[in-house]
Amino acid sequence: MVSTAARSHIAATLVFVASVLLLYGKAPVWCLVIALAAATWRLLIAGGRLPAPRARFGARFLLGVITALLVIAVAISFQTLNGLAAGTALLLVMGALKLLEARVRRDDGIVVGVALFLLLAAALASQSLVSLPFYLLVVWGSCAAIAIIADSSGALSPRAAMRLSARALVMAVPLAVACFLFFPRVGGQFWAMERAGMATTGLSDEMSPGSISTLANEFDPAFRVSFLGTPPPRAALYWRGPILNDFDGLTWRRVRSRGYVSRITMLGEPYRYRITLEPTNQRWLFALDMVAESPRRDMFLDYDAQLSANLPITSTTTYEAVSHLATRPDGPLSVAGRRYETRLPEDRNPRTRALALELRARYASDADYARAVLDWFRDNGLEYTLDPGTTTVDSVDTTLFDSKRGFCGHFASAYAMLMRAAGIPARIVTGYLGGEWNPVGGYLIVRQSDAHAWTEVWLEGSGWMRIDPTAVVAPGRLESGIFELASDVLPATSDFLYNNRFMVRARQLWDGANHWWRERVVEFDMRSQLDVLRRLGIESPDWRHLGWAFGAGLTAWIAWVSLSLRRSVARVKPDRIARAWLRATRKLARVAAPRAAAEGPMDYARRVGALRPDLAGRVAALASVYAGLRFGRGASHQDIAAFEREVRNLAV
Amino acid sequence: MHLSGSLKATLRHALAAWARRRQGEDQLPTTIATGRVYILPTRAGLAFAALAFVMLLAGLNYANSIALLLTFLLAGFGMIAMHLTHRNLVGVTLRAVASVDAFVGEHGRLLLTLENTADTPRIGLDCEIEGSERSAVDVPARGSARADVALSLVRRGRMTVDRIKLSTPFPFGLFRAWTYVHLRATLLAWPVPRGRREAPPETASGGSATAVHRVGDEEWAGLREFRSGDSPRQVAWGAYARGRGLLVKTYQSPAAHQRTFDFASVPGDVEQRLEQLSAWIVAAHARGERYALRLAAGSVPADEGNEHRARCLKGLALHGTGEPW
Repeated sequence: MVSTAARSHIAATLVFVASVLLLYGKAPVWCLVIALAAATWRLLIAGGRLPAPRARFGARFLLGVITALLVIAVAISFQTLNGLAAGTALLLVMGALKLLEARVRRDDGIVVGVALFLLLAAALASQSLVSLPFYLLVVWGSCAAIAIIADSSGALSPRAAMRLSARALVMAVPLAVACFLFFPRVGGQFWAMERAGMATTGLSDEMSPGSISTLANEFDPAFRVSFLGTPPPRAALYWRGPILNDFDGLTWRRVRSRGYVSRITMLGEPYRYRITLEPTNQRWLFALDMVAESPRRDMFLDYDAQLSANLPITSTTTYEAVSHLATRPDGPLSVAGRRYETRLPEDRNPRTRALALELRARYASDADYARAVLDWFRDNGLEYTLDPGTTTVDSVDTTLFDSKRGFCGHFASAYAMLMRAAGIPARIVTGYLGGEWNPVGGYLIVRQSDAHAWTEVWLEGSGWMRIDPTAVVAPGRLESGIFELASDVLPATSDFLYNNRFMVRARQLWDGANHWWRERVVEFDMRSQLDVLRRLGIESPDWRHLGWAFGAGLTAWIAWVSLSLRRSVARVKPDRIARAWLRATRKLARVAAPRAAAEGPMDYARRVGALRPDLAGRVAALASVYAGLRFGRGASHQDIAAFEREVRNLAV
Repeated sequence: MHLSGSLKATLRHALAAWARRRQGEDQLPTTIATGRVYILPTRAGLAFAALAFVMLLAGLNYANSIALLLTFLLAGFGMIAMHLTHRNLVGVTLRAVASVDAFVGEHGRLLLTLENTADTPRIGLDCEIEGSERSAVDVPARGSARADVALSLVRRGRMTVDRIKLSTPFPFGLFRAWTYVHLRATLLAWPVPRGRREAPPETASGGSATAVHRVGDEEWAGLREFRSGDSPRQVAWGAYARGRGLLVKTYQSPAAHQRTFDFASVPGDVEQRLEQLSAWIVAAHARGERYALRLAAGSVPADEGNEHRARCLKGLALHGTGEPW
């Protein structure tokens, strides 16, 4: 039998352990080890396996020294005691120390408080759907621990405490939802937060041969797209990202120019869609071909129609954009712009340069030349592969004449070079092509493996035209993702994951849930709150409406709680016999004072009889029948019915 | 610390006085209605609220939906905890109050019978009287339980209790709900049995028909009405079974001896004299002797047994108060 004090220690320690485990991978390992060691020691003492330490001055002094050392250790390993990460580590070791000296129930309460703070730290570090059940478990455990700590008499078993707190939490869910929806999300920050230096995968602002094929094995989502209306055809799903315009013969880079501005007019149907972008730590954004205007105030459109954000994207970001698949330039490209977009290193890729001059001489217009180069790509036995082999400084020459193998980046680079060498403005666009339709969530998921590179070429009269040489070399790339196309070079596990039908479905379900979670829960902010109000029928909601909605929700919840928590008072429901007898006594109430609580039926009948001698016999008979039915054995249905008839016929 | 303590006491008194004006006096049995249950967070509850507030600030600061969701869940839990604590007290019935007298310096007791008509148990009901320790009791569903509140007696005489406080922190200890029941209950604080004087010698007296059964030399003297304090062993169960009510068999000792304890014959100041008398009564009772008590305000004829002892001690306790006994 565990004493209630030991039970309280154990409950608090277990909750602490659970929240320490939540921080696995989010806090330094040595902090976790110290915390778990202290918890183990505490559990052994509470379980009676180890003797409890005596409170001696020496022990307290030692504890003080350990405290100081641990604080210094945290300060050294983080170079600061400020900020979330260092604060979490500090909280971990302080919680461990509290466990070492915990003696009374209040200490256990403090340990549970530390556990809840650790939970907060874990939630701030990761908001993924996977971790939610674990967070909820810690909340549940904490509440149960609070009950166990408060219970000094041992009347509440751990199981009862778990059940009770589960019930309380379930009842709290509606309030949590109402608060989540309507509690005004005050903008701005109360204290500064550091930006985590995250290592992310994805496109960068430069492209050398092979840099995109490294992404082909990355299954992480880059972004998700929900179309508000009909989606464009699959072959048009070119998600434009960083635009590269500076070539050194091997690598394309993005160098911003102020040299020219080209205005365009949008043609054709607009496509409206919402993109939920995973953090990239970069400023550029992705959009379908040409965006009409910047979707948000903290984003802008560059001179080359590159959509960018003012600040690097460090958290999941959602924006709505409108795109057109066709455009027309308002005027010719300026001289400066033309010069800028045709620059090439003089001494690189001589064979390609020669090919360009030779081919260009054969055709009358730039457009004819551009088409001819595409034909050349198709007819010269170029092979589309994830593994094009090594390259040289003259990378385009290698691709076109030596290895004849390449990935999208190689072909885009070669094509742009061929255009520029013929004096035609051209640039590289990196981004993503296609995406996987998720029927569960009704959205398109674009993965890192969908990374692609293509070119934009300025053709007189048409303006910047999207030309994708890879589409000529490997026409299938437009219709299917890289996994279907290159399943032979992917590891078997990925092949199973990405091409097995059942797994595809499971993956889509899971991704759908995650996407919903991201978009509807994690990304939920004041704007989404106002959207909810709009959907509830409020014309132009502001924070005051939020306040009203919050108040209404709170009131409704409190009413519901107080109603459903009203004690059900045990009441014996009167049966047929009792009901009939009650009817009789109600009739007789006109004759005599109501039957007293301690008055038996026979006594009552005698009293009534004394007041109304004419009724005496009848009432006495009724009373004795009632007593017989009530206290006798096995009243039959007929007996009861007869008694009821007697009562009905009683006339006062 | 001291200042805040006295401030707290002042506030508590003000609240109690206000509650008395509001509720008026109660009569047994009293069922605790919603309108008279007060509730405030405990220290743990305040700490919990502070924690939730910090979590809220962090969630808003980092625009972290999950932190906010967990915070709201905990806040809702706190409010449910308040309701649960409140309902743990509402509807409980104080059925009976009995008091147990004791000597000064010991603990007198107030026995409170609490009843629960609900079909869930009520756990951790604390009963207390001003100046007493809390006495916790669990009342089962559709049942009753007795709380035993110990009151330390510091002064001889009648101690009047006019307010019983029922409270509960159950189930989470984040809130304490409490209520006042305004009932009058009295306890007697008997003088401490103290003093070294010899008891007055036994004197022979004519036998008394009221003496109950004692082992030894006795002869049958008939039946008399049952009085509280009589042992069930002396009850004439046969007579009871025949429907004659509770009667006690009495015997007559052929040579009954008794002592008479007279206030006037004891030297010393009033309290010392009362304490000496108390000591004699306790000793005589322990030996099973017959004794009589004579005080300024009245006297108790010679007798024995628990009831007699209580009567004598009551006389000592109320000596000089002018209260009849």
